[in-house]
Amino acid sequence: MGPFSDLLSGFSVALTPENLLWALIGVFLGTAVGVLPGIGPALTVALLLPVTYDLEPVSAFIMFAGIYYGGMYGGSTTSILLNTPGESASIITALEGNQMAKRGRGAAALATAAIGSFVAGTIATLGITLIAPPMVRVALNFGEAEYLALIVLAFTTITTLLGGSLARGMVSLFLGLAIGLVGIDELTGQARFTFGIPQLRNGIDVVTVAVGLFAVGETLWVASRLRHDAEQVVPIKGSIWMTRAEWARSWKPWLRGTLLGFPIGSLPAGGAEIPTFLSYSLEKRLSKHPEEFGEGAIEGVAGPEAANNASAAGVLVPLLTLGLPTSATAAILLVAFQRYGLQPGTQLFNNNPDLVWGLIASLYIGNTMLLVLNLPLVGLWVRLLAIPRPLLYAGILVFAGLGTYTLNYSTVDVVILYILGTLGFVMRRFDIPVAPAVVAVILGPAAEQHFRRALQLSQGDYSTFVTRPIALSIFLVALVVVIAPLAARLVRTLR
Amino acid sequence: MSERESPVAPDEISVPPRVEASGRSALVAELLVAAAVLALGILILIETREIRVMRTYANVGPRVLPTIVGSGLVIIGLWLAVETVRGGGARPSTEAEDADVTLPTDWRAIALISVALIAYLVLLERAGYVIASALLFFIAAFGMGSRRLIRDLASAIGLSIFTWLVFTEGLSLRLPAGWLGGIL
Repeated sequence: MGPFSDLLSGFSVALTPENLLWALIGVFLGTAVGVLPGIGPALTVALLLPVTYDLEPVSAFIMFAGIYYGGMYGGSTTSILLNTPGESASIITALEGNQMAKRGRGAAALATAAIGSFVAGTIATLGITLIAPPMVRVALNFGEAEYLALIVLAFTTITTLLGGSLARGMVSLFLGLAIGLVGIDELTGQARFTFGIPQLRNGIDVVTVAVGLFAVGETLWVASRLRHDAEQVVPIKGSIWMTRAEWARSWKPWLRGTLLGFPIGSLPAGGAEIPTFLSYSLEKRLSKHPEEFGEGAIEGVAGPEAANNASAAGVLVPLLTLGLPTSATAAILLVAFQRYGLQPGTQLFNNNPDLVWGLIASLYIGNTMLLVLNLPLVGLWVRLLAIPRPLLYAGILVFAGLGTYTLNYSTVDVVILYILGTLGFVMRRFDIPVAPAVVAVILGPAAEQHFRRALQLSQGDYSTFVTRPIALSIFLVALVVVIAPLAARLVRTLR
Repeated sequence: MSERESPVAPDEISVPPRVEASGRSALVAELLVAAAVLALGILILIETREIRVMRTYANVGPRVLPTIVGSGLVIIGLWLAVETVRGGGARPSTEAEDADVTLPTDWRAIALISVALIAYLVLLERAGYVIASALLFFIAAFGMGSRRLIRDLASAIGLSIFTWLVFTEGLSLRLPAGWLGGIL
């Protein structure tokens, strides 16, 4: 018994030749889409959902896990070589890593990012292994009110931490909630907001939402102001191996970044942005060479990259143990579970231990594969960056149409896809983040169910939400998350 | 918002490239977004009254969340308007690698891609997947400024046929064959 015997049986699932192959395909695809601009892991998993119908669930999830981790590795490669971060969590890597590349230490920057991601990913996966079982036991005591409180907390963290302002984050969140309202109300069977269109009775698929907001929205946005001065890929010079001094300057940032990233990712405190920034300023303060920061300090790549990866792994803790996604990719992974009739949380650990532990074991394997694959293949990834942008985005549109149409074989879905794509374009134009909307589409209906069932159990007595200590404390934390930034701003203006 | 200033879209900002879109027209565009959020909230509140409620569920029925969402959108719309007027104007998202936010909006590219998307929708179940996808690819690439027509056409046809084969032969999903039904 105990997590390690569970993990061992997980390895026996993940180490079959077939599943190793799926893991390899996953990390390969993941790295490719991570390197390529315009496509991220959320979109890739969403588009692969119809393709994986016939697959064993455990194989599909091993591949998805590879895509998830691979996307992170690939993203840092692009940031270092191209200086155009694809996501805000990579801004730091782009800053320092690109400077290193320009000074001829691009190979070392790639190496410290890759090894740091490996160290962080492995420690964080160990963290998942140890934390998940006790979390699942705690979750056994959770009722409707507690789950509602957790969802509200996830809403507040993802909303306050993304986008230009709280108001803009809230716009995204409530747009997602509004999209989630469409369809039959599960508790009463009443149609809501279907406007007489029968295809809307089953609601708007989260996959359509993600593909519309990410793929079509991003394509329209990029097309509207395509970079004409194509960014130069910095050629990789110098030894692929880090020098002794670079190792000495890297290993502590890796560990500190992991320690920052994993807890913040798993809390759920919304994304990888905060830990990477924290890690960067921490390394700058601790460094003996603070003057190098901004000019290509290796600590400034090592720490934030480790933090980024560790927090991405941390996101899997609330997803697997509570069924609570706190990022867009996690939301799509939750959809994937539901497609297979699986509900992450206590039941998943009890009823499908092979799947859960096979998935966790595959995270260790995928991480190792990525370390081995990434550095030698960097030439291939660089070549991917040379794909002409018009062809890349035209291809993204083809896959977006294909993936959406095959959901229900209905052109109504394609129309919805276009509407959401236009919405995604407008949101980008006005700095409204899209991730809160994707998370809200899937968690909104869940929140409503918990809310109404809790009130049915308490016979309409709203005090059920404040008399349960766990629920109350989670609600209070959510309140603090919203109020703290507002209060801080108020204090600043009063001064 | 005065009538004369209305149809203001970001492309009408006649600033030279590389200058942040700013000024009154940007403010109006932003206020339009706030107004749209507000209007959506009101629409949801009105539509909520169409949802039938049975007595037993009156306390926690199917109208509760729509009411919360509708009211929320109304409040957020007003909030966004206040924030805009007080000078918290939006900077376009900087998250995309390939987008240069200092450029003005290229409406021609948007129009061409829209044509490509509409052609896809119209043709998908008539002309079939391969033709619709190839056209979508080709027009979209052209819209984004590619002028190597032969290479683009070859890529368009290649990708469409490749995905057709993978999905129909490899994964046995059924895609519309359309006009090429006898050949494919």
